[in-house]
Amino acid sequence: MAPRKPREREMLLESVIALIFIFVACVDLCDGATVVDVYRLIQYDMSGVPFGSRLASLNHHAASLHFSPHADLSRTVLLIPLRELNMSFVKEYIAESKPLGGLIFLLPRMFSFENKDGMGSNHQDESKELLKNALDELEQILIHANVPYPVYFAFEDDNIDAVLTDIKKNDVTGQPATATTGGYKFVVSAPEPKKVVSPPITNIQGWLAGLKTDDDAHQLPTIAIVASYDTFGAAPALSVGSDSNGSGIVALLEVARLFSLLYSNPKTRGQYNLLFGLTSGGPYNYNGTHKWLRSFDQRLRESIDYAICLDSIGSWENELWIHVSKPPENAFIKKIHEDFSRVAAELGFKVNLKHKKINISNPRTGGLVDGRHFVNEAAIVRSVKLIAESLARHIYGHQGKNIQIFADNSNLAVNPSYVQSWLDVLSQTPRVAPFLSKGDPFVMALKKELEDHTDEVNLHRDVLDGMFTFYDSTRAKLNIYQVASVTFDLLLLLVLGSYLIVLFSFLVITTRGLDDLISLFRRPPSRKVKTA
Amino acid sequence: MTVFHFFNCAILTFGPHAVYYSATPLSEYDTLGTSIKAAVVYLATALVKLICLATFLKVSESDSFDPYQEFLKALIGFIDVAGLYFALTQLTHRNISQNHKFQAVGLGWAFADSVLHRLAPLWVGARGLEFTWDYILQGLEANANLVLSISLAALGSLMWLRKNKPKTLIPIIYLSAGIVATMPSITSYLRRGLGWHFPKVVGFELFTSLVMAFISWQLFSVCQRPSV
Repeated sequence: MAPRKPREREMLLESVIALIFIFVACVDLCDGATVVDVYRLIQYDMSGVPFGSRLASLNHHAASLHFSPHADLSRTVLLIPLRELNMSFVKEYIAESKPLGGLIFLLPRMFSFENKDGMGSNHQDESKELLKNALDELEQILIHANVPYPVYFAFEDDNIDAVLTDIKKNDVTGQPATATTGGYKFVVSAPEPKKVVSPPITNIQGWLAGLKTDDDAHQLPTIAIVASYDTFGAAPALSVGSDSNGSGIVALLEVARLFSLLYSNPKTRGQYNLLFGLTSGGPYNYNGTHKWLRSFDQRLRESIDYAICLDSIGSWENELWIHVSKPPENAFIKKIHEDFSRVAAELGFKVNLKHKKINISNPRTGGLVDGRHFVNEAAIVRSVKLIAESLARHIYGHQGKNIQIFADNSNLAVNPSYVQSWLDVLSQTPRVAPFLSKGDPFVMALKKELEDHTDEVNLHRDVLDGMFTFYDSTRAKLNIYQVASVTFDLLLLLVLGSYLIVLFSFLVITTRGLDDLISLFRRPPSRKVKTA
Repeated sequence: MTVFHFFNCAILTFGPHAVYYSATPLSEYDTLGTSIKAAVVYLATALVKLICLATFLKVSESDSFDPYQEFLKALIGFIDVAGLYFALTQLTHRNISQNHKFQAVGLGWAFADSVLHRLAPLWVGARGLEFTWDYILQGLEANANLVLSISLAALGSLMWLRKNKPKTLIPIIYLSAGIVATMPSITSYLRRGLGWHFPKVVGFELFTSLVMAFISWQLFSVCQRPSV
């Protein structure tokens, strides 16, 4: 029994060690040099024609714009800061379909809606404007191209800036990042993008009923205030559309709030119905608005006196544009323009009229540049005041009178805090319609807010028409690894082999010397005496 | 790190043990059993140390150098010396001379230590893509640890197995053994107390292990000389 104890103990320990190894092998460790949030260029088909970034997963070495002119980039990810972007380079590579492993554009932090620095700053310096124009142009190129490799956007931070500096250094010294010279490897593990089946669009409708007198038998006229709440951009997860059309949403909500105060009292209730509409699908030929209008019954449609659509009113300075579809000589248009111009003159700015056939085939896009940093909430406040005052004069028949219903410092004043809070929320909420789920929390928040200010709120649900097909996988995590080259490992193997050979030789010599030393002292005493 | 790099680091970590065994006369005297037994004793000693560390040490939130805790760790580290004493004196060795006995024990001890402390990190590191110099430095540290283990085994052999050592050398033998035994605490102090980086610590370990090996070798050679 005694000799078996060591063996049993040994087997037990081996089992424990094996269990430890199995446990360790099952643990999924994240050991990248750095992990960066990346946002994918939109992928969509328009009438079956593919556009955008057609792949999501990425597993290539990284390079910068300083790569060697003869380098093969088909298995390379280019990391390009927007500040160094050469637009002709992008056009060349995309238009001519040159092979690339991937593209990652580094955007300055001011385009990030999570960046709180400088919130509300209206200082439009030169470099900011240049970057804005560059990003806008880049966005247009990418949206209208078919890119067969992954394209991502990321924001500058200390980690990825350090990686970029290293990559530039390697590229300048003429070491293209291939499998034999090491460098950085960019890995995005993402599944194959799938189609968004029947993307839902939801329209929100609010209603403020006008005061109906007993002797009046016919329907009250209706004024409709409409705004699209979604936007479009190259990266759906980054498209917040603060100006187009976040400003419209904010203005509509504030107008609804102001008129709910007036209409809550029968003495101040007007003889017009007010219809508020927050519609989706704006960038896609106003698909949602079209479906919403089609859902109206005949009587409601006929009762609409006029409709005003609020769009991109957060970035103007001294001039506001009104687009009308009828000629300016029309008596009705002239009257409306006079009303708006008079109120605008009182508020200190000018309203311009533009006669233009409303072409819904030319959709507006907010884009990645449309962020909180570029929206002026004072402009929205002035817009709200103009719209509310003009509507009120139209409703209560105060044309020509110098009465301010929504005067400053009164209980009916426009609330800048309300405007600012909603603008902040909208500037942090990506709102590309195909990626808003049915019952999206944001849509529910808009509905609840409208319910607070109107008599009844309805949701009108539909699906986006089949001309557009969208694909998912709009955001991912980029793992950046610093990898060693095979050449380095071969060299290391040679060094280790040499080391072991030298160690072997040294040990043999040492042990032989020791044996000789021992055997030397074990010689017969006679020889020792003889030597002495 | 790639699988190729994993094999390179494994060769650097475990290769010297095999080279030592095959290059020296250990392979001719059938000392593998002794090495295996020494490895088993090491594992048992490590288990006892683990229990003592869990019982007597408190987990510090900050990574600062606490002299009292470090002193306690050094005391617990002397369990290694007790384990080595057990391996050198209590294991039954069949016709193995003292020269080869301490080498076999030291080799088994160092190998078990490397397996226990370095094979798992190597295994985990092989799964990742990230290249760091840490695994190469860990391999070099394993080499230093092998040298230190054999030095400590040699000194232990002199202290406990050799009877007729010269009187003037006894303090030097005990002092050297004390230095080698406290080497883990010394490196811990350098790393956490003085803030040395891993490459510097490994360099210090290599240098110190070579110096202690030389001293141990000289002491052992002197004690081999028959006294008049």
